[in-house]
Amino acid sequence: MAFCDLKPVSAMDGERGITYIIGNVFAIYEMGPEPPVVYSWDMIRSVAVISKEITFDTVGGKYSVKNNMFTSDDDLLRAIALIECKIKDYHFDYQHARRLFPLKSSYLELNPGKETYVGEDVLDEGDTAASFIMLLNFKLVKILWLIGLMVMLLTLGGIHLAVGITRTNWLYFVPISAAAGAITALLVHIVTQAIARARFRSIAEADCAARKEITFVVCRQGFAACESCVYESRDLVPWSEVDYFIESDKMFIIYKNNMPIAFIPKRAFDKKYVGGIADIMALNLEQR
Amino acid sequence: MSVDIKTETVDFDGKSALLVTVKDGSCIIGTCSMGCVEQSGNLSARLRMFYIGSDPVLNLICPSRANKQSDKLVSFSPGFQGYDIKINDALTNSFNRLNNGESLGSGLRDVFGLLGDGVYTVYYSDYYPTDGNGNFYWGAYNISHEVHGTAEHNRAIGDREYRPCFLLPTQPMDYFAPRVKVGIDEQVKTRRVQGIAYHVSGLYSALLKGHHGSVFCVENNIPFRCAVIEKITEPYVERKPRPTVSAPPAGEVDPEAPNAAEQLDAEQTPAENPDDGIDNAGINGITGFRSPSVKIPLYAFPRDVLKQLIESRTEFKPPHFNIMAAKLLTTRRKSINNNAMPRSVLERAEQMPDCEMVESAYAIDELTDEQLNCLLRGEVECNGKLIVSPNFYSSIITACSFLQFKDPKRFVDFSIAIMESPELSAAHEYVARRVASQTSNSKVFNFFKTVSESNDVKYDKIHFIAQTYVRRLSQK
Repeated sequence: MAFCDLKPVSAMDGERGITYIIGNVFAIYEMGPEPPVVYSWDMIRSVAVISKEITFDTVGGKYSVKNNMFTSDDDLLRAIALIECKIKDYHFDYQHARRLFPLKSSYLELNPGKETYVGEDVLDEGDTAASFIMLLNFKLVKILWLIGLMVMLLTLGGIHLAVGITRTNWLYFVPISAAAGAITALLVHIVTQAIARARFRSIAEADCAARKEITFVVCRQGFAACESCVYESRDLVPWSEVDYFIESDKMFIIYKNNMPIAFIPKRAFDKKYVGGIADIMALNLEQR
Repeated sequence: MSVDIKTETVDFDGKSALLVTVKDGSCIIGTCSMGCVEQSGNLSARLRMFYIGSDPVLNLICPSRANKQSDKLVSFSPGFQGYDIKINDALTNSFNRLNNGESLGSGLRDVFGLLGDGVYTVYYSDYYPTDGNGNFYWGAYNISHEVHGTAEHNRAIGDREYRPCFLLPTQPMDYFAPRVKVGIDEQVKTRRVQGIAYHVSGLYSALLKGHHGSVFCVENNIPFRCAVIEKITEPYVERKPRPTVSAPPAGEVDPEAPNAAEQLDAEQTPAENPDDGIDNAGINGITGFRSPSVKIPLYAFPRDVLKQLIESRTEFKPPHFNIMAAKLLTTRRKSINNNAMPRSVLERAEQMPDCEMVESAYAIDELTDEQLNCLLRGEVECNGKLIVSPNFYSSIITACSFLQFKDPKRFVDFSIAIMESPELSAAHEYVARRVASQTSNSKVFNFFKTVSESNDVKYDKIHFIAQTYVRRLSQK
C-alpha cells in the first residue's frame, strides 16, 4: 500500500472535548474514563472531504471533523492522504471537491529506479491559471472564428434590412460588420479567460494543496505530484493509470478520462532535465 | 533516543495476556512493505520483508493486492549478508536469561529493545520445526513458493484465535554446522526454552534464536518450546450468531401466501455469503484488537497502551530501509561446505503434523461418530447443524485432517470407510495419500494389501498408492 508510513493524525474538538484519531483505524475519544469508540475502515460507509470539514459516515453514526480541529494544514493533508489510501482496500464511498493533483488511492508503492527526476515547488497561480486558459483556448479556438463570422453575417444582414446595402454604400458596411464580428469574438475570449481564471481560483481555494509545497517526481515507472509533507519516496502513479498529456511552455498537464489530474510545472525541475522528463512522458503516454 | 519499554499483564474474560509496549523502538527486527512487485506484467502483488538489522531475511510476496486471505510466496532473501554481532549478542542474552528462569517480560527485554514501535504480546508455545508441509524448516524456503497457512486471515480457522506453530528460518541453510550442533546438544536437554520466535504471518513465525537446537530437538523428539513475540495490530469485531430461521419444507409452503416465492427461494438457495449467519445489527465500533493468539477487548487495555496502539502504524519502514532495499538486489556469496541435515531429522519432520491438520484442529471443536457417519452418507449437516462446511469434499478433507491430528485411531477407521465407499471416489486419492504418508499401522497395511491385490474398479484411484505403501513397509 502506498503512503503506508504516514503517522496517524489526531484532531481535537475543544468545545466538546472529543479527540478524533485517523490512522490504521478511526477512533473517537470522548472525555471520561470510558474506552474510545473505534471503527475499522470496513465499518466506514462513506467519507466526504468538503471545503471546511471531513464527514465520516460509519456503521455507528456520522462524525464531522472540522478542518480547524487539525493543528496544521499538514495534518489535514495527512488525514486526507490516509483516508484516500484506504479507499483501495475498503471500497467506501468518497466524495471530494475537484483536486489539482491525483488522489492518493491512485498511487502504488514502486521502486522509482535510476532515471528519476525529482523537483519541489509551490504551484504558481499565474502559471496554472494560464494553463487553464490554454486548455480552454484549445477547445475555444475551433469555434471562436465561427462566432466571429456568424456575428459579421448577422450584422451585415441587420444593416441590409435596416438601411439597405447598395453598390454605393457596401464599402462602408462590410468593414463595420467585420469589426462587429471581431469585437464579439474578442469579448467572448475575454469572458472565457475570466471564467477559466475563476474556475482555477475556486479549485485552488477548495484544495489546500494549492498553497503547499509539492513534490514532483517523474520516472520510468510513473509520476508523482503530491504535497511534500505527505510524500514518501517510493509512491508513484503508474503511467498505466493515466491517458495522455499536454505540454505547454510552462507545464506538463496529465489527463485521465479527459480530465486534467496533474499539473507538473517545468520550473520545479532544473532546466536541463525538462527534456528528459518530456522524453519519459512521451515514451509512456500519448502526447496531444 | 532510548527505547521506552513497558510490560504489563491484562486480565479479561478469565484470560490473561502479557502486553509489551515499545516506544521509540530501534526497528532492528520487524517487517515492512517493499512495495509492488511485477508478476507477469501485473503490479497487483506486494512484497513484504522480514528484516534483522539492515539485512533482508525473508521475502513474502503477497498476491492479489496483499489480500489477507491469500497465502504468501515465501523465500529466504538472497540479499541476506549476516546480521550484526550486537544483535546476535542481544538475542543470546535474552535466550540465556529465559533459560536461567527469568520471566518473559524481563528475560526478553533486550529483544524488545530491537523491535519497532507498537504493542506486542509474548507467550510460550510449542512449535513444529517444519514448513507446515512435512519439510524441516531450515532450508525449506530457498526457492520462492506458496506456503499454505501464511494468510493473515485463515479461511479454515475463521475468526478464532490460534497459535502459530510453524517456523521460518532467519539463517541460511549453509550456517548449519554439525560441529556447532554437537556442542549444544547437551545444553538443549536441560533448556526450559528452545528458541525465540517472532510472528510473521498466519501460522508462521521467524525463529530468531535456536536453529541448531531445533535440529537436536527434532532428532530426539523433544518439544520445541519457544518464547513467541506477536504484534497486536488487527481490529476485530465479536459478532453474535443470528438466530436461525429455517425455511419450511417445500410441501409446507403455501403457494397462495404473499411471500411464497421468497420462502421457496430461501429453501432452494444455498448459503452464498459466509457472513450470512452473523448479526451485524447494533455494532458500534470494533470490539478490540487482536494478534493471532489473543483477542483483547478495548476495555481490557490500559488507556495509555490503547492510545499507543491506535496512534501507531501497523508496519513502517525502518530508518535503514534504503540499505535493505539495496541489499535486496544483491546476492550473498555463499560458503561452500559439505554439511547436510541429518536424515533422521528430515524423516521426523515428514511425520510431524502439517498445516491442514493444525488448521482443522483450530477450526473444529469436536467430531462425533454420528457426524462422521453423516459425512460418509454424503451429508454436510447432522441433526440440522452444519458439520464442517457447506462444501462436502472440503468437509471430508477437514474432517480427515482433524482426526489425523486429534485421534489417529478414528482417522484410520474413517479413512478406510471413505476408501471403501465408491460414492466418495473423488476423495479416495487424497485420503489414501494422507494415510500412506503418515500412518504405519497394521489396519492400514492390511487394507492397502487387499487393495493392491484386488482388481475392484472402486480402488482404481488408490491402487498405485496402495502398492507403493505395501512395498515400502514390506522392505522395512
